[in-house]
Amino acid sequence: MKIEKISVRDIPRRRFLELSMKGGLLIAATPALLARLTSCQRGSGRSSLPDMDKEMLSKVIAKALEKGGDFADVYIENRISRQIVMEESKFKSGLYGISQGAGVRVISGNKTGYAYTDEITGEKMMRAAEVASYVAQNSAATAPVSISETTRPSFVTVLQPLGEIADEKRIEIIRRADQAALDYDPRIKMAMIDYYDEIRSRIIANSEGIYLKDELPLLFFIVQAMSDDGKARHMARERLSNHSGFEMFENVAPETIARNAAREAIAMLDAEDAPAGIMDVVMQNGWGGVLVHEAVGHPLEADNIAKGIGAFTGKMGQKVASECFTMVDDGTLPNFRGTINFDDEGTPAQRNVLIEKGVLKGFMTDILSAKQLDMARTGNGRRESFRYIPIPRMTNTYIEKGKDDPADILASTPKGIYVQSLSGGSVNPVTGVFNFTCRESYLIENGKKTKPVKGATLIGSCMDVISNIDAVGNDLAFGPGICGKGQSAEVTAGQPTVRIRGINVGGSRA
Amino acid sequence: MIMKNIDLTEKLVRKCMSLGADAAEVFLETNRSLSVNVLKSEIETIEEASSQGVGFRVFVDGKMGFSHCNDLSSRSLEDTISRAIAFARLSTPDENNVLTYDKGFTAVADLFDPGITAEPMEKKIKMAIDLENLAMRDPRITKSAGAGYGEGESGIFIGNSNGILKTYKSSGCSIGVSVVAEKGDQKNTGGEYCTRVFFNDLKPLEEIAAVASKKAVQLLDPVMIRTQKAVIIFDPDVARALLGGIIAGINGERVLQGASFLKDQMNKQFASELLTITDDGTRGKSRGSAPFDGEGVPTARNVLVENGVLKSFIYNEKAAKRAGVRSTGNASRRGFSSLPGIGTHNVYVSKGEHTRNEIIAATKKGLLLLEVTGYGIDPVSGNFSGGAGGLWVENGEIVHPVKGITIAGRAFDILNGIDMVGNDLDMTRTNAAPTFRVAEMQIGGK
Repeated sequence: MKIEKISVRDIPRRRFLELSMKGGLLIAATPALLARLTSCQRGSGRSSLPDMDKEMLSKVIAKALEKGGDFADVYIENRISRQIVMEESKFKSGLYGISQGAGVRVISGNKTGYAYTDEITGEKMMRAAEVASYVAQNSAATAPVSISETTRPSFVTVLQPLGEIADEKRIEIIRRADQAALDYDPRIKMAMIDYYDEIRSRIIANSEGIYLKDELPLLFFIVQAMSDDGKARHMARERLSNHSGFEMFENVAPETIARNAAREAIAMLDAEDAPAGIMDVVMQNGWGGVLVHEAVGHPLEADNIAKGIGAFTGKMGQKVASECFTMVDDGTLPNFRGTINFDDEGTPAQRNVLIEKGVLKGFMTDILSAKQLDMARTGNGRRESFRYIPIPRMTNTYIEKGKDDPADILASTPKGIYVQSLSGGSVNPVTGVFNFTCRESYLIENGKKTKPVKGATLIGSCMDVISNIDAVGNDLAFGPGICGKGQSAEVTAGQPTVRIRGINVGGSRA
Repeated sequence: MIMKNIDLTEKLVRKCMSLGADAAEVFLETNRSLSVNVLKSEIETIEEASSQGVGFRVFVDGKMGFSHCNDLSSRSLEDTISRAIAFARLSTPDENNVLTYDKGFTAVADLFDPGITAEPMEKKIKMAIDLENLAMRDPRITKSAGAGYGEGESGIFIGNSNGILKTYKSSGCSIGVSVVAEKGDQKNTGGEYCTRVFFNDLKPLEEIAAVASKKAVQLLDPVMIRTQKAVIIFDPDVARALLGGIIAGINGERVLQGASFLKDQMNKQFASELLTITDDGTRGKSRGSAPFDGEGVPTARNVLVENGVLKSFIYNEKAAKRAGVRSTGNASRRGFSSLPGIGTHNVYVSKGEHTRNEIIAATKKGLLLLEVTGYGIDPVSGNFSGGAGGLWVENGEIVHPVKGITIAGRAFDILNGIDMVGNDLDMTRTNAAPTFRVAEMQIGGK
């Protein structure tokens, strides 16, 4: 197996389709049941899923541990998704998807067995339990605790449930964005708008006795605007995403998203070749946080630490970054795209300080890596769908705000690159070597942002970058993304304006 | 089982029509998969599943809707079809919404190996463990990042209201390993894997292990170089960095939208005459091949670039209709839950006349590029920028490893700058290229 290259990236539309459609969805659907499912209940933390027969789930868990093993769980999921794509002012496609399934997992020592089924029946889940139990052969057995209803706090509120929104309203949002992008400037030749929403319902039961159920609504709105002035072309992008109801578009108008994309597309038409070599970089607040998500966040996920190969292995409690650097992962920020209430193993989400004033304080764990490292569970065990085992993942990850005025950070940088937004990037979690591609960036000359430059790659290693951050602004902001680590997860990344000394910039001129 | 799914596919096409579609396509898929990961000679994970699903593409008054589900009970299927039809009614009519009439079926040999399932699980686990141990043999390799074996089988069933009803099945298996080399504070990873249609065609474990450990150790003790312009020799492993952008740039739909740096280059010399690129969906025993594409159009062998001249864009039915040409059999589908997009099958760069050593020997100063990070060529703007690592060449000889540098340039300059092409083409890859050399690119260093 390869070391997974872990990335948050620009989502080519087709890839996005694939990601968004992979989900799972519970329910051997009868039409009546489906109708109930599609109408998400007001508020959240409640699920319109029918309760599963707890006795049956207990039998499945007992079956999973029949040959031995320390832990077993059942994850049942259903996902109803809608996606509407407009390109060239025409509706290219409308997609509706129902995906359902159940997975059974057995952990025995360091071994994990997993099997899933598309059919949520007692018989199929018992079969999955039997397959998953293969890894536990000849190991000591653990008696499961009988399961009972468990509750967790919710950080997601819904005013306008997605299930009650007519498709016409979704279409209206898309048309408004398309018009706003094209109206911005005649050099905007095309807008590509991708609207996606889903309702994911989960039931989690395990051998420690929990039985949890909830549903998470998700909205993801992407506007790409392409400019062409006959000499240059640029595809710009702006995104908006929340776990919330349709009221998201009342808080931020689709026109605002579209105009932001169009602004970038026009600004970058004049881009010159970027300079090459090692220089100082000022990164504007917001989605630039993806740099620490990649460069630092992934290496702080506990799976590679437990394997003894991660870049931060053996560094707990040590100074790893500059004093002004504090990094947090928090799955409880209200309605944020990375917020999860509880992770896909049932552990409550929480605020985890990973690096505090430069000192390594914590790793992000799932149940297995917490046990292997003898650490607490942090609520980071996530999975793309029932087709995947949970692994440590980020939620909302950010650099804590500092004291510097963003204007002063720029003014005190004589020469370098000002990165306004990044497309995305990737990291090798073992070596900590990362790369990012700039989406919108400018030269810094005499402390001022001057000419736009073409999308250059930024590279470096995680240890260097967090030691070389020497200014942190007071303007923390976030951006939404899809994080890939063999499976996808919805996240946000955030940061205030920061300056990083000495990053290698992949420009095409000396 | 196959007959049952053929019947179901046909029945579902009729169901779409009876529920109100003017035209309909049903794409049904069945899958079985197994994967085993091992670490330090112990099983880490075993995952096993069989799954299925169906996607419905329906047209109503020239408007398209799509829906999918993985519950094949008749009530759920009917509900899902109704959703697609309801969605179609909200869409925009498009005269290019067409389904294929082509009943052809390209004969492609050996896409399925019934022997994969017959091999015992214990053997597959042992292979992964043996591979890990072999890759750890080199004393400079200090840690394992794990080894794995995976296999899958899938059945594809496509039916549409033009009377098309086609099916084929395919299989694949793969084995790979990743290891870490450490020296002082330095850490380097190296991985290699092998994917084949047939179990018995998997490469010898020794060969895979040797490549993985070589990759991990060959960039130890790098020397930082200056920012400069120099020759770049692309290893076959990193050819994808350029090929990917070309493939995205000849995507017929993006060309029609004006969103490609190659949109105005048809029949023009846009690259060095040493560059010839072919896409072949018909090659036997290849994971990229199939008798028909993602919407049922027979696959073909298409020359895309010939001696530097752009010869063909790639199309699915919809983009082809809009462009006024025939589909090139390049509808790609990532499973039942996705609409047909546009993609290639097995793309390869034709081999040249030089050995790899001749190319290195002919290079006065440059980089033998072994690793690239980033997105490759941006297909819209035609810019290229990436992180890079490799071996520095001076006066025809490899002198030291290089890491932590960047390389960049404009796609047209890079592609026109190809001045030597190797004869070391490995056709077992689905994206294959020999070693080739670009006369000059910008390097970012100290």
